[in-house]
Amino acid sequence: MKLIKKSDQVIIPDADSSAQKSNEAPGRFGGWSMNRREFLQNSSLVAGGAALTTMFSPAMIRKADASVSAGSSTTKQVKSVCTHCAVGCGVIAEVQNGVWTGQEPAFDNPISKGAHCAKGAAVREHGHGERRLKYPMKLVDGKWKKVSWDQAINEVGDKLLEIRKQSGPDSVYLLGSAKHSNEQAYLFRKMAAMWGTNNVDHQARICHSTTVAGVANTWGYGAMTNSMNDIHNSKAIMLVGGNPAEAHPVSLLHIFKAKEENNAPLIVIDPRFTRTATHASQFMRIRPGTDVPVIWGMLYHIFKNGWEDKDFIRQRVYGMDEIKKEVAKWTPEEVERVSGVPEKEIYTAAKTMAEHRPGTFIWCMGGTQHTIGNNNTRAYCVFQLALGNMGVAGGGTNIFRGHDNVQGATDLGVLANTLPGYYGLSKGAWKHWAGVWDLDIDWIKGRFDQGSYEKSKDKDVAVMNTKGIPVSRWIDGVLEDKANIAQKDNVRAMIFWGHAPNSQTRGLEMKKAMEKLDMLVVVDPYPTVSAVMHDRKDGVYLLPASTQFETYGSATASNRSLQWRDKVIEPLFESLPDHTIMYKLAKKLGFADQLTKHIEVNNDEPLVEDITREFNRGMWTIGYTGQSPERLKLQQQNWATFDFTTLKAEGGPCDGEYYGLPWPCWGNPEMDHPGTPNLYDTSKKVAEGGLTFRARFGVERDGVNLLAENSYSKGSEIKDGYPEFSDKLLKKLGWWDDLTDKEKQAAEGKNWKTDLSGGIQRVAIKHGCSPFGNAKARAVVWTFPDPVPIHREPLYTSRRDLVEKYPTYEDRKSFWRLPTRYESIQAKDYSKDYPIILTSGRLVEYEGGGDESRSNPWLAELQQHMFVEMHPRDANNISIKDGEDVWVEGAEGARIKVKAQVTRRVDPGVAFLPFHFGGHLEGKDLRSKYPEGSDPYILGEAANTAMSYGYDSVTQMQESKCSLCRITKA
Amino acid sequence: MARMKFYCDAERCIECNACITACKNENEVPWGVNRRRVVTIKDGEPGERSLSVACMHCSDAPCAAVCPVDCFYTTDDGIVLHDKDICIGCGYCFYACPFGAPQFPSAAAFGSRGKMDKCTFCAGGPEETHSSEEHTKYGSNRIAEGKLPLCAEMCSTKALLAGDADVLSDIYRKRVINRGASVLNWGVQYKKAGIDS
Amino acid sequence: MASETNTKSARMRKTVYFSILSLLIVLALPLIPYAFDALAVDVKQNKEDKLVALQSPAINLWNDVRQRNGKIEGTSQVKSVDSGILINKTGEDWRRFRLEILVPYGAYLMAGILGAIILFYLVRGKTLISGGRSGERIPRFTLNQRTAHWFTAGVFWLLAITGLILLYGKFVLIPLLGAEGFSITAAACKEMHNLFGPLFLLAVLAMLILLVKDNFFKLVDLKWFAKGGGMFGGHVSAGRFNAGEKTWFWMVMIFGIALGISGLILEFAILGQGREVMALSHMFHGISALILISVSFGHIYLGTVGVEGTLESMTTGSVDAAWAKEHHDLWYKEMTEDSETIVSADKNTQSGIAQSGIASPDTGG
Repeated sequence: MKLIKKSDQVIIPDADSSAQKSNEAPGRFGGWSMNRREFLQNSSLVAGGAALTTMFSPAMIRKADASVSAGSSTTKQVKSVCTHCAVGCGVIAEVQNGVWTGQEPAFDNPISKGAHCAKGAAVREHGHGERRLKYPMKLVDGKWKKVSWDQAINEVGDKLLEIRKQSGPDSVYLLGSAKHSNEQAYLFRKMAAMWGTNNVDHQARICHSTTVAGVANTWGYGAMTNSMNDIHNSKAIMLVGGNPAEAHPVSLLHIFKAKEENNAPLIVIDPRFTRTATHASQFMRIRPGTDVPVIWGMLYHIFKNGWEDKDFIRQRVYGMDEIKKEVAKWTPEEVERVSGVPEKEIYTAAKTMAEHRPGTFIWCMGGTQHTIGNNNTRAYCVFQLALGNMGVAGGGTNIFRGHDNVQGATDLGVLANTLPGYYGLSKGAWKHWAGVWDLDIDWIKGRFDQGSYEKSKDKDVAVMNTKGIPVSRWIDGVLEDKANIAQKDNVRAMIFWGHAPNSQTRGLEMKKAMEKLDMLVVVDPYPTVSAVMHDRKDGVYLLPASTQFETYGSATASNRSLQWRDKVIEPLFESLPDHTIMYKLAKKLGFADQLTKHIEVNNDEPLVEDITREFNRGMWTIGYTGQSPERLKLQQQNWATFDFTTLKAEGGPCDGEYYGLPWPCWGNPEMDHPGTPNLYDTSKKVAEGGLTFRARFGVERDGVNLLAENSYSKGSEIKDGYPEFSDKLLKKLGWWDDLTDKEKQAAEGKNWKTDLSGGIQRVAIKHGCSPFGNAKARAVVWTFPDPVPIHREPLYTSRRDLVEKYPTYEDRKSFWRLPTRYESIQAKDYSKDYPIILTSGRLVEYEGGGDESRSNPWLAELQQHMFVEMHPRDANNISIKDGEDVWVEGAEGARIKVKAQVTRRVDPGVAFLPFHFGGHLEGKDLRSKYPEGSDPYILGEAANTAMSYGYDSVTQMQESKCSLCRITKA
Repeated sequence: MARMKFYCDAERCIECNACITACKNENEVPWGVNRRRVVTIKDGEPGERSLSVACMHCSDAPCAAVCPVDCFYTTDDGIVLHDKDICIGCGYCFYACPFGAPQFPSAAAFGSRGKMDKCTFCAGGPEETHSSEEHTKYGSNRIAEGKLPLCAEMCSTKALLAGDADVLSDIYRKRVINRGASVLNWGVQYKKAGIDS
Repeated sequence: MASETNTKSARMRKTVYFSILSLLIVLALPLIPYAFDALAVDVKQNKEDKLVALQSPAINLWNDVRQRNGKIEGTSQVKSVDSGILINKTGEDWRRFRLEILVPYGAYLMAGILGAIILFYLVRGKTLISGGRSGERIPRFTLNQRTAHWFTAGVFWLLAITGLILLYGKFVLIPLLGAEGFSITAAACKEMHNLFGPLFLLAVLAMLILLVKDNFFKLVDLKWFAKGGGMFGGHVSAGRFNAGEKTWFWMVMIFGIALGISGLILEFAILGQGREVMALSHMFHGISALILISVSFGHIYLGTVGVEGTLESMTTGSVDAAWAKEHHDLWYKEMTEDSETIVSADKNTQSGIAQSGIASPDTGG
């Protein structure tokens, strides 16, 4: 006999019938409720085609129509973009009475379709901000003291001016952020120029600087060529040194679509069996640092079997023969000897990519963070060029950028080697920007140190025209003997503006550098590890910055799309938006008027839209000129009109435009260029988003034509290659008179980059031509240390047998103003004492240096301990079990105490550290050093305390993917 | 009548944990209580797969069957909810649940656990809809607004599906057809004569 | 005529031949490609590119999730009890055990034994001391032993009642009290049960220490069992405790300690016990409890209503000599050999009678 349970009977609770009462109910949803059945009958999407329904349930998708959902007048829906990674997922914030009370999925956002990862689904915590830096603080005698903004700005400003007087403007380092909005990034670079230094940089240096350098020097622009949405068209996907399952989760929404609907093979090449690799159709495990052998190993089979796209190479590529010579050296045996990958796997991967075209190639830090990072990135490009996968939908090099606006910050020039728009630091570049800023060039010149510390072809180069110190080497700017630095004095003041310290290597030396500084300033929503990792007693200022949800502006996602963010809430506590802080500082330092000459300022806050308009006026090189605030805002209001795969709006107010007006968006906004969704795609007219390879490297070399041959974009009136457009070329072609008189005035003596009227660009496009020319991509970069990409062993390598054949570079006396070592480090054999290869990477719950995300309890709960991944064999060799404490000692002696995670993800002899932790130093807990109430919930050792020296031969990117260590029981 | 269910597509789940944080976000779930979790089988090895699991809203709920105070009830849509005011925190539902959905805020001596908390399919609880009591005790009530649970709506790869069981099966069926044999095959490898075993 | 027949048969033969031929041709046609293949020149096989499909290592996912091939635990970033287990099989087993075995059979057991006892009493009535009381008293239980016994008994009943409410209340009390009302009752019962539970363990252990000496089974106990405790076969011998009492003692010890330990496991979850351990503990706890409760009916019956002169052993601490001689003759012999143990008849008889309220055959009434 079974006793009958009461709950067997379905009881209908009161909740059901109370829908009508809800309008009066206080609390979170003053709300409105819809008939529960209605949403199930949402048949509009079912009719839309099988493709869409297999991705999402029609029952799951409700059009997030702001006017419908916000039934109650008190709930506002604000559109923004996630502040974490560069995928650029849309965020819809629900705000009631100025309080951020909820998040809704942004189903209409063309990039993310409502999807989020753990971080994106938790951004509302920014509105709580319990562990935020709440007010300006000053370190006095080892204790944190609250100060007012005025006092803080005054004291910081005074000190900066003092240092300027004594040592020159280069002794102040302005470290900007990949988390600035575009407007803030631009203003920051301008501020550095007004201050008079090129010692300005941001996270891109240590993330994709080698990508930008390598890729831009191959075919003109160094950005992601297609888009994540475009991956829907890929027939194969190759992913090297990246783990999007944790670093760009929503990108897998697109990758899986290709995998499932196109049956596209996904090939993952990585030292670790990552969460991405488990969904791959082929996983290739390589020894860290051996990308070039593997890529050349694949090309070996491709050339041997004649699978390369010969027509494409003939028409659009220079130098493939020299590549072939190098590739011939990489026989399957040599590839296996160096990288550990057997022929069978290399052959399979090569054949797969050859047989499934168009295929796309994705890479991340695993390929970039090496001393030969620029070789790696160029090898990836050459691979795609060989297969003819460039300039086609579904192909391309889809480089996944890191932070939410690292693409924007890079484009807007927060870099030591260029002004906004990659103009560089030449006289012409400065002249251009002086024109845009409407400032006297001599005044700007006068702001810089008047000395000269570098020579070019035996001529002195002005400081203004020399690259600054990159962020990866700032500590050497402080610690190095000043006689060896190519500037007047050491760096004496360091401003960490939206940048963490524990993402750069050599943590112990950084501690020393921080202690040697005259002043350390942190401008951030959180104190960051900069507040605690040193033993200073004073001279440290923490200035609370607002997050991107407390201000507004545009941000550029990895696929070059600009998205507009609206302000969700007012700045919390006493924080201020970055641009306001910049203005206040500029006022104190005496150049506020110049900084905001044509920018309206209200209550010390520069008007964001004016800043957008200003960089629209100046960024001709990469086409940041068409994305006016009005066009971007309109797109934000009409997310739903953009197609999911092509990103093109069909109908609606933005008809014909591509989402985000992906740069280059040529000409001024009135020209209404739709943006360029896939770079170098000659199947479209330039006016409709097509493009050719940029003519950047000259017209011919060694008698070989560098311009494209018989390849041109659709509708091009020049049916062959052509150089970049200037007034002279227009006149030669007889198109000069197509310019208006006003344009002629501006364009006289200028080219497509410097013509402020945009006329040259307009006319070139009118005749179907790309303003920057139509050239071949070059597989050989003759200006680089290794013109043909070759393999070189990492500085700290466990394969001493390969060092002779694949040695690193020679030491350099002055490289980016600093002595930089290569062979003198590789000469020493560390492999006996430090036998395990140490690599690093990301976790999905955290971002970057980690203080922001470790202060979010919803995220912090999921990753509570810093750990090292090690293979069971290595663990058994030191009698360690999973979860026990170990010391990981880096090759230069720095030790960190972490938990061992024993797993087969890594090979025997390889260990992996996530780099997001901070707040412990060599076993010591630094929690008490944080300002009260601002310590993150979770602290841990910083991986980069143990990571060692090593810098890319072109960009000074840090080598944090292949060092050495030893692990011992704690 | 719609029957509300969850389904997690293991081929899509990448353990991004968005479902966990979305739930905590929407329902203000405190530290230590996790209504949803992602479990990974064969972590770090070929064949690693993840599944997001929370209350599965069983048609014949074991939790309801063993509860000594009968605090569970099932709504018209098949959503299994419970009344925290009646719950005595004995833990039996946790023992019976195949998915480990019931969570308890504390683990103190003498069997004191606090009131059981679990996934409500974002359907609130027995308190008045959208009242602050309902929100404090059970979290948000999205179902009453015609929305679906936030965990599934925010899933990064649309692995986690929530909604009417018929619609869900239809979606999944289409996916299976699309994938074909690729779920069974981990790609292909080319064997070359003489160099392979 | 003959030619006609000839033509006819010839035509018939032709038809047959042609039919068979066509049939053969039709059957042979599909074999032509095979013929070609067999005859074809052996094309040089492209040994190079043999495609081999690799089986996905994830095809056993659902077997692993359902734990069909043994216990497989996954990992999760959420670290709580059993968070790595996707589907816990023991939950369903436990649910079925509780609802389909424990609840119904526990009820049958208790009702059955109670019913049997009532029946027994109605049929046999109270077992009186044969020959009446002697008036002499023999001390049986010390103050410590009695305290321990009543303490154990009291705690046992508290736990039994609260436990039964938690097990059966849903079916019996909710209709009476309503959900909210019962919830308050149940919450109180749970707290009381959990607070007194550890005390019960201590009490049982105290009983063990105090009484174990005389509770070891001897040969005489076998004989006692054989004769049904004296119900058939006449007189049975017994020491201080007869075989039945010894059995009860050991039942209390074994089931009591089982209850105590399983109870501690159940209520001190701070040690992170998984659900499997909890379900198993609950099973032992429930079975032990119901058995003990049911058999305790018998113990209580025999100790109070069932047999004259028994209750006073545990209340006053002493028993009538006649009772002792009848029920525990060996113990009686032991005790009377040492004459100091025999207390003065008059004094104790009076008080004994006054205490027990039993009419003495002498005084009548």
